[in-house]
Amino acid sequence: MSRLKPYAILLIMLLATLTGYASGQRDNVFKANKAYSDGAYSTAVEFYKKVVDAGFESPELFYNLGNAYFKLNDYANAILWYERAKRIDPGNEDIDFNLNVANTKISDKIEPLPEMFYKRWFNGLVRLFSVDTWAAMCIVMFITGLLCGVLYLASHVLVLRKIGFWLGLGLLFFSVISLIFAWSGYSFTKTTSEAIVFAPTITVKSSPDEKSTDLFVVHEGTKVRLMDNISGWYEIRIANGSVGWLPATSLEKI
Amino acid sequence: MSNRIILSLVAILICTANLTAQDVQFSAQSKAVVAVGETFTLIYTLNAQGSNFRGPNIQGIDMLSGPNTSTSSSIRMINGSTSMSITYTYTYLLQANHEGTYNIPAAAVTVNGKQVNSNTLSIKVIKNPNAAAQGQANTGQNRGSGSSGGAVTGSSNDVYVKAFASNSSPLQGEGIVITYKIFTKVPIAQINISKLSSFSGFWSQNLMKENDKLQQTTQIIDGEQYVVADIRKIALFPLKSGRLVIDPLELACVAQVRRQTKTRTGDPFFDDFFNDSFFNSGVANVEKTLKSNPVIISVRPLPEEGKPADFSGAVGSFTMHSEVDKTRLKTNEAVTLKNTISGKGNIQLIDKLNLTFPPDFESYDPKVTSDIQTTAAGISGNQVFEYLLIPRKPGKFTIKPYTFSYYDLDKRRYVTLTSPEFTLEVEKGTGESGAVMTYAGANKEDIKYIGSDIRHIKDNEVNLIPAGSRFFASLVFWLLLIIPMLLFLVFLVLWRKLAARRSDTVLMKNLKATKIARKRLQKADEFLKSGKQNDFYIAISQALWGYLSDKFGIPLSELSIDSVHEALVQKNVNESIIGQFMETLNNTEFARFAPGEKSVNMERIYNEALEIISKIERELR
Repeated sequence: MSRLKPYAILLIMLLATLTGYASGQRDNVFKANKAYSDGAYSTAVEFYKKVVDAGFESPELFYNLGNAYFKLNDYANAILWYERAKRIDPGNEDIDFNLNVANTKISDKIEPLPEMFYKRWFNGLVRLFSVDTWAAMCIVMFITGLLCGVLYLASHVLVLRKIGFWLGLGLLFFSVISLIFAWSGYSFTKTTSEAIVFAPTITVKSSPDEKSTDLFVVHEGTKVRLMDNISGWYEIRIANGSVGWLPATSLEKI
Repeated sequence: MSNRIILSLVAILICTANLTAQDVQFSAQSKAVVAVGETFTLIYTLNAQGSNFRGPNIQGIDMLSGPNTSTSSSIRMINGSTSMSITYTYTYLLQANHEGTYNIPAAAVTVNGKQVNSNTLSIKVIKNPNAAAQGQANTGQNRGSGSSGGAVTGSSNDVYVKAFASNSSPLQGEGIVITYKIFTKVPIAQINISKLSSFSGFWSQNLMKENDKLQQTTQIIDGEQYVVADIRKIALFPLKSGRLVIDPLELACVAQVRRQTKTRTGDPFFDDFFNDSFFNSGVANVEKTLKSNPVIISVRPLPEEGKPADFSGAVGSFTMHSEVDKTRLKTNEAVTLKNTISGKGNIQLIDKLNLTFPPDFESYDPKVTSDIQTTAAGISGNQVFEYLLIPRKPGKFTIKPYTFSYYDLDKRRYVTLTSPEFTLEVEKGTGESGAVMTYAGANKEDIKYIGSDIRHIKDNEVNLIPAGSRFFASLVFWLLLIIPMLLFLVFLVLWRKLAARRSDTVLMKNLKATKIARKRLQKADEFLKSGKQNDFYIAISQALWGYLSDKFGIPLSELSIDSVHEALVQKNVNESIIGQFMETLNNTEFARFAPGEKSVNMERIYNEALEIISKIERELR
């Protein structure tokens, strides 16, 4: 995966105008990392936030920011940034680990609904790599597959032709699979919006109205899926499938 | 006392009988006629050593005590001969409560291993001739006939108990007071309530203490002076509507009744003297069972109209006061909500309030303290509910107003009391949430984790990407996908064309192979005639190899004896022809490079070449 990072770097290279700025921000990251290591977590948060505000993102940056918040006992923010990091790099074990630790610190313990096994497997595969990694893999396999096709056509040697044919076919097949995975991961981040509850304690209402019936209570740090949005209210669904409405001010979108 | 006399008489009788005959006697004795409520004895006598006494199964008569076993033995010496007698008696104390004739079946006892049965008895229970003169009066019968039976004065109106209800048609939940009064003309003592009324359908509260002294008053009823005393006073709260019956109260008391023992001496003077009140002032203690009247209470239901939803049966007049001891606190600090309901009515029936607390509050069952004054007028006091609440989460919480409803007897309508709304500001406690959180640890202890923490930050590899720029679905991505695709397609098209052209040349060559070979052979023929030996052989060689190359599509560079042989075999050319062809080729090559005169074989080789080409041509067709 990290060996495919050169592609990301390549992308940065392409956006040459931003590169100089990025290097300046990288200094901020180093400063923040240093502050974190020294235990000055609020300073670390400040520097990380500077980088984020400058319009940069990176799973590592978000992860580090989440860590800094965690150390400040601000678990809701920690979860928010871990989740943001996870969105970019869903297969990262460190992010998962820290997110789990942070989730043990919050009040709500929600039993998630079990998913159908094929859905679970598919999502597991999709989350194995980040969208961009899947995309890069798709490109590499596609080009190699085509080269194998050329080999098949051009070669007079029977063995090479055979290798070219089967390898090319396999690579093209897997590049299509990668494309599907990249696409489904991409569409997940595009279509599903999630949020973290930021109010210390808030009652989920049955409709977008302060006077409506109280359904259940959620606390700071709980992840909710946003289903609908009506005049400052979000229809939310928590992991166990319960649905209700929360004011938008109590939520922070991932 | 009379029992004892009977006993001793019997004992003596039996003992004397014992002397004469040693047969075992087991007999039952009792009074044949008893009055209702009279206590009498039933005695079984055995003149031998018995064991395993099995008493009778007496039905219809209450067994007060028994069997009480006693033994007596006597030794007699008459004229030097000693005789010993032993007597076993089993005594029951019985009481008959209903008129009628009762059979007492035989009792059994084992003597020397044999079972001996007693006689059966028949007891007639008659109506109490003088209810007030029970018990003791009967003992007179045992007295000598010289004195007449004691006639005891007293009637059923001498002493009686009556129950009074303060209100015989209350509303459901409205308190009433029921008072039991004893009316007596004679002095009484030892009032002993044997059966309390059961107040089914009521909630009751005793208004008199057990050991209260009876307050006596005098009252004149029907011209007779009675002493009246309240013996029981009970506050009752009907729990349901309808006709409710309060059972009678039963009590036993000892009435002191004047007895006039009429002594007849035959002398009028002495009769008068002894029968006057001074001498004849014998007082009999008469035990009497008294029963009050049942009281019927018809309870009216509470009106349905305007009945609040939270009404739980409180009737009377109440006030409510509620307060919290603090409104600003920190997590895990306790706050007490104190709710006091005070007033008059069935206050003790208020056992809970419909209070709801925010879910993040840990709440416990309320501590309920009652301060109730029970007076003759009824019940009043206050009921205090103390709710202990512990907020576990910070935030702003409100305890919503709660209501308490009761039916006001004075206003004749339902009244709902509402508490104020309490707002509690809960700050995060300094004690850190660790005190609250309990981590459910697994029971198995494989690895002991001393603590848990997040993993360290990523220090070195932070690749910053401008936000929102993703490789996937970007232009570069699509270009990287499409450009190789296009290149491949271009390659494919070019390759197709090339292949087509190449296959065309092969076909042409194939078709032209014979023609070219002929041309070359003709050239060789010319060289033969002009005697140019080297040129001739070159032409022959070229004709043969070129023919093969063109015919089988083998490039000249790849031509060899082996590859040609392989190609011919593939085309199913006859093996002998192949051999001949190979020979011709060999000969040509040999002749070409052999030293010395070459002209000799030229004619033959030319003919061989011509022949073999035409032969293969025929084979391939």
